[in-house]
Amino acid sequence: MKKIIAVVRREFVERVRTKAFVISTVLLPVFMVAMVILPALMMRGGDHTSRVAVVDASTTGLGQPVSHALESEKIGSGSNARARYTVRVFPATSHDLARVRDGLIASTGFSSDRQKDGWNGVLVLTDETLASGKLAYYGGNVGSLESMSKLQRAVSNALAGVRLAKSGVDAALVKQAMKPADMDTTKVSDGKLTGQSGQESFMIAYFMGFILYIAILIYGQQTMTSVIEEKTSRIMEVLTSSLTPFQMLLGKVLGVGLAGLAQMAIWGGTVFMISSQRMSLAGLFGMSADAAQSFPIPSMAPGLLLVFLLYFALGFMLYGALYAAIGAMCNTIQETQQYAIFVTVFIMVGFFAVFALIKDPTSPLGVTMSNIPFFAPFTMPVRWSLTSVPPLELVLSLALMVATLLACVWLAARIYRTGILMYGKKPSWRELWRWIRA
Amino acid sequence: MPAASVRVESVTKRFSGHTAVNHLSMEVAEGGIFGLLGPNGAGKSTTIRLIMGILEPDEGKVVLFGSDQDSRKLSQRIGYLPEERGLYKKMKVLDHLIFLGETKGIGRADARTRARAWLERLGVSEWSLKKVEDLSKGMQQKVQFAGALLHEPDLVILDEPFSGLDPVNAQVMKDIVVDIARAGRTVLFSTHVMEQAERMCDRIAIIARGETVVSGTVAQVKEDFGGRHVALSFSRDKARAEAILADRSLIAHLDDYGATAELQMADGADPEKLLAALVGEGVGLRRFEVVEPSLHAIFIAKVGADAAVAHAGVAA
Repeated sequence: MKKIIAVVRREFVERVRTKAFVISTVLLPVFMVAMVILPALMMRGGDHTSRVAVVDASTTGLGQPVSHALESEKIGSGSNARARYTVRVFPATSHDLARVRDGLIASTGFSSDRQKDGWNGVLVLTDETLASGKLAYYGGNVGSLESMSKLQRAVSNALAGVRLAKSGVDAALVKQAMKPADMDTTKVSDGKLTGQSGQESFMIAYFMGFILYIAILIYGQQTMTSVIEEKTSRIMEVLTSSLTPFQMLLGKVLGVGLAGLAQMAIWGGTVFMISSQRMSLAGLFGMSADAAQSFPIPSMAPGLLLVFLLYFALGFMLYGALYAAIGAMCNTIQETQQYAIFVTVFIMVGFFAVFALIKDPTSPLGVTMSNIPFFAPFTMPVRWSLTSVPPLELVLSLALMVATLLACVWLAARIYRTGILMYGKKPSWRELWRWIRA
Repeated sequence: MPAASVRVESVTKRFSGHTAVNHLSMEVAEGGIFGLLGPNGAGKSTTIRLIMGILEPDEGKVVLFGSDQDSRKLSQRIGYLPEERGLYKKMKVLDHLIFLGETKGIGRADARTRARAWLERLGVSEWSLKKVEDLSKGMQQKVQFAGALLHEPDLVILDEPFSGLDPVNAQVMKDIVVDIARAGRTVLFSTHVMEQAERMCDRIAIIARGETVVSGTVAQVKEDFGGRHVALSFSRDKARAEAILADRSLIAHLDDYGATAELQMADGADPEKLLAALVGEGVGLRRFEVVEPSLHAIFIAKVGADAAVAHAGVAA
């Protein structure tokens, strides 16, 4: 036991000390945060109040209700809500329509600091607008799908109101009738509300699967590489004389696993800190509170976190043991590829099963897969986050995983024992079987 | 009588295609220095790996300290320097030694103290915080040597410990090996450099093609080999000696090194007659001494012919 701890400590310390570890620990979150923040920063334009000129060339005075509708659109909610549009109506006739329109377009599409009273867009209404819904918009922000759909929705509502009013429907009734449906979703587990929205459950499930997938691929390969390295540096021979292959492998797998968990802990801790301080941080970056609020930093229920960590650690080590066994069979990294592909396929199947599971978490497929140790680390946390899993099933699945982990380490150790001193020769499957039985 | 430190009982190890060790038996008594000698490919390293339990014998068995436990259980009492040197390249020297100590069951603090002492003794203490890969090959070897001895084992097994070392470092290592033996502990080392073995070993075994050729104390081996041997050094006119040295009625076997030679007298031939003949011929001699056969001579005589045949066999 003391010897295993020595191996674990060595693997952990040597790994955490490397530049690669420090760099990946710092850079990966920076990269991920950039992925979240950059689009948010780019879309910030959509949250500015837009100045819209409405050219009303209709004979029915369509400009008035449309500008009303636009002016009642808000950015944000509550006390810090601002108008989304400032609108001015320019009346026109079918004769001078082109002139008025072109005049306005001439002062459109400038950034606000270059021309303060310029327009962000010009909306042209004609009689045809009311009849068939056709209208034209000229603007600097037509590339923003979100802005366009918002504008279109506002105009559609105004048109519908005008049409209904024309047929004699009361304006108040129209307003009432046009109210959109607004659905809140909340997950229920064991007959209790969890406080998570469906969106959030999905995000968490997907995110966990993804992290595990990445972690196994990176750290599993590292375990394999370090076994190969021990073989090529011949340090193996000294170690085999004092440690059993089981001790060496278990120590290695645990040590690499701990290094991975440490990295996750650093990231997790950072996310927690940032999310608890996100309001003040957002201010620092000059973002509105809404933008900060909209960042997808999901909160995790403690139970889910525990299940996730358990499966994460076990899955990580299970695959680590498999990778170590491959390392023991081969002499070079190139050689490992043809065996490693099998493990990669397992990981892929597990990862993509997450998608099937998100659609239908209670399916027999999901239940089966969460009992197969190689897939359970992906599927069980997802099931747990999306539905309620009977405790007995959880225990069974965990027990199976622990048993398989030990079996894998044992198997890998058998291969290791014979494989470590076989230099320059790759075993056939039949030889491999002999090594395991030997 | 105490149990032998190592007893190898009729051990056979086959690899695909060839037999590396063939019914080999030997016994290393407690204390002293035991030399395992043999030409390249004789099965020295395989024998040592079998003793260390890194390889399992196909037949026969290895007994350590008279105990029926395997070498890993006894690893606290054994220090091992493999032929293929290997260390974790990225680790710091001191950390590495501490780790090696821990794998032998020494506590961390204790291992640190011992590692420092060893680095001091081997004259590499200023390198203790450097990475292994920054060290020269000779220094790495010293570090590994320290790693094998850190836990003060009763039995030290060294596979070609002096190969690749400069004379100064070889001397340092030799002194340490001698110290270990003087402290009553057992050293088993393999080499194919006979002079070294001759100077250091109490007992030897010469193996060739996986079988024991000769074994016993050095004195015993020499006595058994028998014959009368003469060591010669020439100062001038060596060419004049050629005819005499080629005389098979006088000389049974000649090992010519150029400036020196070692030869075995033919049965019934008299060393004085040889001396008289050389002086009569006018050959300048710096040394003429009737000696015990050197291990080298024994080795060549016993193994040389075999090795030559083996090589021919491989070529065919």
